[in-house]
Amino acid sequence: MLKKLVGRCIDINTPYCPCLLSETNHCTVCSHLKGEEVCDCNWSGMCILYEKQWQLKKNKWASDADAPVRLEADTEFGVKQKISEDTYLLTIKVTPELAQSLDKCGSFVFLRRPIDPQFYHFPVGVMKVIGNTIQVVIETIGPKSTRLLENDNNQVLVRGPYYNGIFGQPWIDNIEAGKILLIVGGIGQSPAIAVARQLVKKNNSIQAIVAPGKMGTVFISGELTELGINVQEVASMRQLGMRTLSEYLVDSQKCPELIVSAGPDDQHYGIIAALHAAGVNLPMAATNNTTMCCGEGICGSCERVIKDNKRVRTCKVQIDFNQFIQE
Amino acid sequence: MIKVIVVGGGWAGCAAALAASKAGAQVVLLERTDLLLGTGLVGGIFRNNGRFTAAEEAMAMGGGDLFVAMDANSRHRGIHFPGHSHASFYDVTTMEPLVKKILQNYGIDIKTRARVSGVVKHGKKIQYLTDDNEEIINGDAFVDTTGTTGPMGNCLKYGNGCAMCILRCPTFGPRVSLTAKAEVKEVMGKRADGTYGAMSGSCKINKDSLSSELKNQLEKEGMVVIPLPENLKKSGMLGKKACSQYAIADYAENIVLIDTGHAKLMTPFFPLDLLRTIPGLERARYEDPYSGGVGNSIRYLGIAPCNNSLKVDGIDNLFCAGEKSGILVGHTEAVVTGLLCGHNAVRCCLDMQYLELPPELASGDFIRFIHEQMNTEEGIRLRYTFSGSIYFERMKNLGLYSAQRGEIIERISRAGLADIYNTCLV
Repeated sequence: MLKKLVGRCIDINTPYCPCLLSETNHCTVCSHLKGEEVCDCNWSGMCILYEKQWQLKKNKWASDADAPVRLEADTEFGVKQKISEDTYLLTIKVTPELAQSLDKCGSFVFLRRPIDPQFYHFPVGVMKVIGNTIQVVIETIGPKSTRLLENDNNQVLVRGPYYNGIFGQPWIDNIEAGKILLIVGGIGQSPAIAVARQLVKKNNSIQAIVAPGKMGTVFISGELTELGINVQEVASMRQLGMRTLSEYLVDSQKCPELIVSAGPDDQHYGIIAALHAAGVNLPMAATNNTTMCCGEGICGSCERVIKDNKRVRTCKVQIDFNQFIQE
Repeated sequence: MIKVIVVGGGWAGCAAALAASKAGAQVVLLERTDLLLGTGLVGGIFRNNGRFTAAEEAMAMGGGDLFVAMDANSRHRGIHFPGHSHASFYDVTTMEPLVKKILQNYGIDIKTRARVSGVVKHGKKIQYLTDDNEEIINGDAFVDTTGTTGPMGNCLKYGNGCAMCILRCPTFGPRVSLTAKAEVKEVMGKRADGTYGAMSGSCKINKDSLSSELKNQLEKEGMVVIPLPENLKKSGMLGKKACSQYAIADYAENIVLIDTGHAKLMTPFFPLDLLRTIPGLERARYEDPYSGGVGNSIRYLGIAPCNNSLKVDGIDNLFCAGEKSGILVGHTEAVVTGLLCGHNAVRCCLDMQYLELPPELASGDFIRFIHEQMNTEEGIRLRYTFSGSIYFERMKNLGLYSAQRGEIIERISRAGLADIYNTCLV
């Protein structure tokens, strides 16, 4: 099991690296592409400066404002299920390439109506990919998400893939035959399905605590049980879920090796507090709930301050949730 | 027990580990790749010109184990080639296991594939190091022999790109400087034109790819000089190389091949199609760097500022040697500085006064001279070695050069340093 998570860009060595940040010496990894004189990275993969030199020849990043920076699909969506008052499970048929690249926990896409201006794009975590169809859950509470479903619209422009939907991704990727506690609250149920599907592939034994949260419904119990996960539904995470968690932490037989928290930041902090109270130190992967606008590390809306007073753009940088200064 | 951690297993690191162990410390030697010796895996030349003096000084001071091993593993001895006298060439293909064995016999804990990536210090002292797996490595004193070459981004920015050399950064991860991680501002060497860094000065051709006549001659005589065809006599290539002792006219007009197990070609790179127009080299291919037709590794991009006891400025328990300690070239130079730095690392733990080699010794004058020169704009554009160029001239002028073993032993005992490295301090 990895002990410590190194802060690292999620897009490193993907087709989307080096990115626009490297153009202006704002890369989060390569010291040369931060404007320094000599190498000072700790990345043992393909050298980013090298990648940049080779890729310069094809000038892959957008030359004009309308050219897509990632994959885009102009398509239709269907409402598969109305989960609660403002919560909908959507299915969207996308291109095979986009669907395939999204089939990984922590991935997300940006959605908007094709006719709307760019700033209507909003990020949504991918719950599941079946064939060329992706499933997402959206809450129509803000102006952007509400507009997508207004006037019986079924047209959508999907942009992706983006990957930094979960902090602590390497922990999830590396654990095998481990004991995992999955704590799920509210809208976190959607990413929890993606996490669970990935974790069961590697022979892990998973215990889930699920609370309905603000949306008021638990809709994933059946699916989790089918995956062989032991599900415990609680009416309130704050009152009952945390108590159950504490019981797990003090019992050496039940204590997990990894905690995955899918839900609001308050839930993440609650778990950290419970870990402190129990005096145990466990790795915790947590869903990324920051507000995002561009997804490319440019706009700065997802920036958060970490403990050594540095600022990280959470749409790109992997970091231990524990490192954030509580807002 | 005193614990000294040496980071970087090149010649300098091996010598530092050896000296620290002889002085009585428990020593851990950490190496990023799976082989010791670093660029010494592809070097091979020693005892040429003033390097003879320096090697004998080290032997008389009790630090001769590595030179004895090189002597024992030499393919050729007493070779004269343009500008160089009484050179020996050790066999680069068999040297590493021998050195490893010597160090292990001294009880040194060698950890290969162990890449240090972090330094935790308290005030002006290093507390511990962390490696790639976030394992903590505790020690009392630390030695930075991580060199000044690479990783890939540096070779790209200051050279012709990664030439796939023996350092193998893509496989084993980038070189990490302990000094830089301890937040000490490093010095960068310059070329004659003022740009940063310098290119390694030789490439190695696979000996079996030479014509059989050439191969036989090379193995018999140890070296071959082939005049370059008129159209290939190049200029401008000389200023770029690290090894200024070979930056003389003879090397611009001739191809000089040396038998070090490979056929060592004394030029930083040479386009393969042109190389193959030379008689005897029609089938030639490179051994190191693999892309020797295009470029070579870039060095001197991270020199630690240090004093003449080789303690790094600003950190109380960090020492450095080899290229890390100054703009120097060669295995002999690395071993000589390595011995001093390993020895002083032990003195640091015991609160003893640091050893400085006196200017009456070639090695003592060498370290002082480089450190003085590095403070000047002209000096930072040169490279220093016992074997040629500006420093060998100085050695001769000051009467420090000698090829007489007895004379050198006498010199060391006059300085009161006989067997100093063999003395257990603990």
